[in-house]
Amino acid sequence: MSTDTLEKESKTKEAVKEVVNNSESSGKTKIFLSKLLAVGKSILFACIGLLLFGGFWSFMSSYTENQLPGPEATLTVLGEMLADPFYDYGPNDKGIGLQLFSSITTVLSGFLLGSLIAIPVGILMGASKIGKQIFYPIIQLLKPVSPLAWFPIGLVVFEDTGMATIFIVFITSLWSTLINTAFGVSSIPQDHKNVAKAFGFSTWRYLRKILIPYSLPHIITGLRLSIGVAWLVIVAGEMLSGGAGIGFFVWDSWNALSLEKVISAIIIIGIVGLLFDKLFTLIENKVSYKA
Amino acid sequence: MSYLEIKNLEISFPTPKGKYTAVRDINLSIEKGEIISIIGHSGCGKSTIMNAISGMTIPTGGSVELMGKTIKGPGPDRGVVFQNYSLLPWMTVYQNIYQAVDAVMKVSKKEKNEIVLSNLEMVNLMQHKDKLPGQLSGGMKQRVAIARAFAINPGVLLLDEPFGALDALTKGTMQLELLKMWNLSGRDKTIIMITHDIEEAIFLSDRIIVMNDGPASTIREIEHVHLERPRNKIEFVKTEEYITLRDRLLHLLTDKFSVEDMGIVYKK
Ligand SMILES: Nc1ncnc2c1ncn2[C@@H]1O[C@H](COP(=O)(O)OP(=O)(O)O)[C@@H](O)[C@H]1O
Ligand SMILES: [Mg+2]
Repeated sequence: MSTDTLEKESKTKEAVKEVVNNSESSGKTKIFLSKLLAVGKSILFACIGLLLFGGFWSFMSSYTENQLPGPEATLTVLGEMLADPFYDYGPNDKGIGLQLFSSITTVLSGFLLGSLIAIPVGILMGASKIGKQIFYPIIQLLKPVSPLAWFPIGLVVFEDTGMATIFIVFITSLWSTLINTAFGVSSIPQDHKNVAKAFGFSTWRYLRKILIPYSLPHIITGLRLSIGVAWLVIVAGEMLSGGAGIGFFVWDSWNALSLEKVISAIIIIGIVGLLFDKLFTLIENKVSYKA
Repeated sequence: MSYLEIKNLEISFPTPKGKYTAVRDINLSIEKGEIISIIGHSGCGKSTIMNAISGMTIPTGGSVELMGKTIKGPGPDRGVVFQNYSLLPWMTVYQNIYQAVDAVMKVSKKEKNEIVLSNLEMVNLMQHKDKLPGQLSGGMKQRVAIARAFAINPGVLLLDEPFGALDALTKGTMQLELLKMWNLSGRDKTIIMITHDIEEAIFLSDRIIVMNDGPASTIREIEHVHLERPRNKIEFVKTEEYITLRDRLLHLLTDKFSVEDMGIVYKK
């Protein structure tokens, strides 16, 4: 008898679909137009914001009698930098593309290593009281320390500035991922745990089928915050370590008194940071299930 | 000795204010293939007893024995349908059942697949097998939860307010579905269910366990339902047996039956 009701149900659904189909074409264009309008609006407002900022920048530039280069002078230099980003005239004179590549490689290495430690430890902290009691105090103690303070330690341990820079990125990448992972895991609803218990899931199955899927969105949020801070820290780190990277480039340009280059680098740093954030937001949306 | 024996069961919980005894002195013998309902006011300890049978809670006193063996934890011989379905929202209907089968059954992959499909067939959800729980109605989710419990082929089925959240029509269908599955499996599955619905309890059960109110609640009375099976949803409510039982249960569970019982003078 219930197959009967189901059949009826699907028949009515089809009927409804047909009605919808008739008005669908006009409905679809309407939705498309209103979406387009919304996107247009947000672009317009973003442009207004940029213009306001540009105006303020120009004003500051003329106020300091061009000590601070204005947008026009900066953009010209930025254009030149981007025209030949990959030149390499020896260790202290490299194109912006190469510097950026070096920074991104350093950040990703440190971030990857940090995440490899932070995710499992975070899971341990979230899943067990003892784990939390062991790790939480250390984290609370070390988290507020400026990552740059770790630089000398990195130098002593690795005897290499490059490695020391990776080391501070590594330290920086730990905290947000640790805390968010632990939070995600500790907030797994009892209902889900009961399923695992009642149907005798092994630890491995619980990990793969319940713990990870549930906490993945939290873990990705942690990773997004971590890479954001790591990207903040790399600039300062490379100013300390010197030799390579976008941070070194900023410092070097400042010493060469080219503020145009400094500001251009700032713009590039901002854009790369934004792209990292967008990338992880995209992944976040991909992995979060709709309950 | 019976199939399932609950002996002097006592369960207390540690609370900030000290020990809280939820149930005590619970003694019950259940035969293989029986359908038992537990009925009682909210908070009287129905789920607590259920959890002791499923092994999710370990008794603080007494024991629950299945085929002579004391229950020390959850096991594949008991299938649980939780009060709120408890499906995993990131998995398809198929996967929700498959993961349970895969965790419990020691057969080939092909056989596991067949088990899942036949249980989906049984609850009429074949065409929804690739949907996520979020895309299903309450009744459909309940059917998935029941299919999952059935799929591991347990001797005992434990259902905690299985149809509580469903509308009356869906509820009626689901009751019949449950009986259908019980029949198809040769009526040798023992079903223990918690319900708030007196009519449902009488329609489905061989015996109805009425609980006292907590704290430290005990069994108040056990009612036998002598109606012949198969029972007809329309006809059974007209029987003498039904009317007597319903009145008895109503009296046990409520003490007021009209506004006059509440001290209000009803003006004509
Ligand atoms: N884990 C627990 N800790 C403390 N008290 C509990 C716990 N589980 C249940 N209780 C208490 O035991 C009593 C019975 O609960 P329960 O079995 O869920 O009732 P119901 O009959 O509504 O299913 C309630 O008073 C409840 O507050
Ligand atoms: Mg309950």
